[in-house]
Amino acid sequence: MLLEGRDVTVAFGAFRAVDGASVGVREGEVLGLIGPNGAGKSTFFNCLTGDLTPTQGSVHFAGQDVTRLPPEDRAALGIARSFQVPLTFEGMSVLDNVMIGAFLRTAHTGEARERAGAVIERVGLAPFAHASARSLGTPGRKRLEIARALATEPKVLLLDEAMAGLTPTEVRQAIALVRAIHQSGITLVIVEHIMEVIVTLAERVVVFNQGREIANGTPAEVTSEPQVIEAYLGKRAARAMRRGA
Amino acid sequence: MGLLRRFLWPAIWLLVLLAFPLVWDTPFQQRLGTLVLLYAIAASAWNIVGGYAGQVSVGHVVFFGCGAYGALATYTHLGLPPIAGLPLGVAASVAIAAVVGVPTLRLSGHYFSMATIAVAELVRLVVANTEFLGAAVGLSGPTVPRSVLDLSFTSSLPYYYLFLAVLAGTLALTWRMENSRMGYYLRAIKDSERAARSLGAAASRYKMRAYLLSAALTAVAGSMYAIMIGFIDPESGLGILISVKILIMAALGGTGTLFGPLVGAAILVPLEEISNNVFGGGGAGLTFVVYGAVIMLLARFQPGGLLELLGRLRARAAGRGARRAA
Amino acid sequence: MTATLLQVIAGGLLLGALYALFASGLTLIWGMMNVVNFAHGDFVMLAMYTSFVVWKTLGLGPAASVPIAALVLATVGIVAYFALVRHVMRAPMIAQILATFGLALFLRYGVFWYFGANFLSLPDNLVGGTYDIWGIRLPAARLLAGAVALLVTAGLHLLLTRTMLGSRMLAVAEDEAAAQLMGIRPHRMQAVAWGLAAGAAGIAGALISTFFYISPTVGETLAIVAFVTVSLGGFGSVPGALVAGLLIGVIESLSAYWIGAVYKDIVTYSLFVAVLWLRPQGLMGKA
Ligand SMILES: Nc1ncnc2c1ncn2[C@@H]1O[C@H](COP(=O)(O)OP(=O)(O)O)[C@@H](O)[C@H]1O
Ligand SMILES: [Mg+2]
Repeated sequence: MLLEGRDVTVAFGAFRAVDGASVGVREGEVLGLIGPNGAGKSTFFNCLTGDLTPTQGSVHFAGQDVTRLPPEDRAALGIARSFQVPLTFEGMSVLDNVMIGAFLRTAHTGEARERAGAVIERVGLAPFAHASARSLGTPGRKRLEIARALATEPKVLLLDEAMAGLTPTEVRQAIALVRAIHQSGITLVIVEHIMEVIVTLAERVVVFNQGREIANGTPAEVTSEPQVIEAYLGKRAARAMRRGA
Repeated sequence: MGLLRRFLWPAIWLLVLLAFPLVWDTPFQQRLGTLVLLYAIAASAWNIVGGYAGQVSVGHVVFFGCGAYGALATYTHLGLPPIAGLPLGVAASVAIAAVVGVPTLRLSGHYFSMATIAVAELVRLVVANTEFLGAAVGLSGPTVPRSVLDLSFTSSLPYYYLFLAVLAGTLALTWRMENSRMGYYLRAIKDSERAARSLGAAASRYKMRAYLLSAALTAVAGSMYAIMIGFIDPESGLGILISVKILIMAALGGTGTLFGPLVGAAILVPLEEISNNVFGGGGAGLTFVVYGAVIMLLARFQPGGLLELLGRLRARAAGRGARRAA
Repeated sequence: MTATLLQVIAGGLLLGALYALFASGLTLIWGMMNVVNFAHGDFVMLAMYTSFVVWKTLGLGPAASVPIAALVLATVGIVAYFALVRHVMRAPMIAQILATFGLALFLRYGVFWYFGANFLSLPDNLVGGTYDIWGIRLPAARLLAGAVALLVTAGLHLLLTRTMLGSRMLAVAEDEAAAQLMGIRPHRMQAVAWGLAAGAAGIAGALISTFFYISPTVGETLAIVAFVTVSLGGFGSVPGALVAGLLIGVIESLSAYWIGAVYKDIVTYSLFVAVLWLRPQGLMGKA
């Protein structure tokens, strides 16, 4: 396993948002994390990235125990992320946003700018490089977060609902981008609500409900269980599945 | 055009600053110019942590005091020229900044602000009760210069150019920081600390660096002050009103901008000197009533300071011009 | 010897009750809207001058000055909220700090300008007499101030925890948007908080003025005492402020007694630094 949470429990007071979850992603894999709203996906995700410290359990990256490591140190090891609600640097240009990521691997401003420019080209934000991040819409912001994360040259990239709120066309473009990222050799963990995304992208899927892992397998295996679909992905996803089949 | 804009205006301003005390050459005017530069150094130093890092220190006088006391204590106890005490003042400042910064810069910025004011008062009380540092009476510099190294002159002119050089150094350092990784990181951290950390920016470490740099430069300003005035006591070296002046000058001109603190100092120092001359001692209270009102109005209507307002007005005028042309 | 020590401790507790009272106001505002009021000490100072004016013009003591100061300061707090604080709450933190810091300067030097820098004081016999309880001699003024402060702090705590108004304020503190959906107007509740906080400072100031000198800059020291109290007690907690206030009162009295009066502030401020290093979440806060 490249990145792995073992027996992770996160308690907010008496409430366990994540309850003894053990999930890991292998090098080169695309892991999908799905489950209804409030299942604890983001909470688990934040334990992997260091935004939260689990109440119990541990997190391991490339054989190293990183449970107590702050997010900035995990970024240095090669873990990058996007946020469910985009947190772009509003006061900065798109280029400067991406430079913040690039600075992780170089202290030199000119070089950071060059590398950031290349990443912006790669994700298709080049026309907006000098626009203010504030001027971007939701799809632009989500793309900018991915660009910023890529600029840190990660080994594993974690995306928290990177496609929520996009139109079908935008989702298709985003899927193409994520595929390209995977092909460049980056391991991916994608948390999604939209079933299509998981089916087209993930090699393995973990289903969360009420803080627990309830299913684990290929998209076909997991989604062939009607009760999983109905009970944990909701009716909308169930319909989408039938359409997809 | 671009080249002109880039080099012409800075060159003109530099010329103005160099020529100022030669053109306005009465002792009062020269002294005024010197004080503007002195406060501009302190306010620019404050700006590094307060403006760029967004951590509002309301007790910056403690570093000013370290510099001032460092200089005059070195003269008093070792007989060395006051300037030799500058490194001592810087070292003390850095130590105090570490004591305040290490526990608070990890927490919400309010803790930092409260700690800065409390520690400044703490140091003032300690110094006021320490015989070695002159207690309530204070310390004096050499009354008659023993050599040029004592930097004791009757005219303000030499101080003017000395302070101008120090200010230039401070601004150059700030400019380099602004355009380096640290400057980018600080802007990002101010915007969203969580996102910045996810990208590898060690937020508390960079805030700490900014604070240490700011403390060291403020100590330099304090040493300069003590060398020029030749006297320091707990009120003039560690009084809360100096913190207030430093803060308001940076905020008025524009926090987080390179020249904001200089602009603020250039406005407020003459105003205060003039009001002191007009009202005498009775004006002192009134000056700070006005300062309080100005700070509130700034916070309420223009937290970005005057330079930002100017930029916005200019952008709007340009926009209007462009529309008219179209 | 022991009697003297007991007397010092008792005096510290009475003083500490006052610290607890005005620190409760600071902690209430911090807990409710994440704003630190740097003018809080100057609210206390303003109340001391109010008390002085009440005595000077009406010849009346604390029975009149305490309610008057409470009303005057509650008004000041509410005006400060609507005219200033409300507008900077969502602004960058620098605007928040500048706003209340500017207010502090404005009040401090407004009073300085109007009343002058001289120390004023109320006549000793305004609350006269000394009580002797089990051999501990306590001046009536301090006894009265401490007792009233304790009662008002307890009342404030009950108001916040046991009344409809308190639950509404708590709701706003927890989640402004959700509170609004429940029909609570956040601005009104926050204004009430400012009124209560400043009113508490008003009562504390009027009480302190019966035995302490009055000067324009007294609020600066008091503000730092309030910071220490609140950080020790945990932000947002009135019971925390009470315990911390009493503790600091005793520590101050003991250090004045053992080391000397000029060092008591040094001890208090050092305590603040120690708390920040050792327990930034406060004595009673969760980790
Ligand atoms: N900081 C928090 N405090 C209390 N409860 C929280 C906190 N963060 C998340 N929760 C709760 O934990 C549960 C899981 O949330 P989350 O991980 O965001 O779910 P998902 O991402 O699967 O939609 C939810 O019920 C949410 O309300
Ligand atoms: Mg989520």
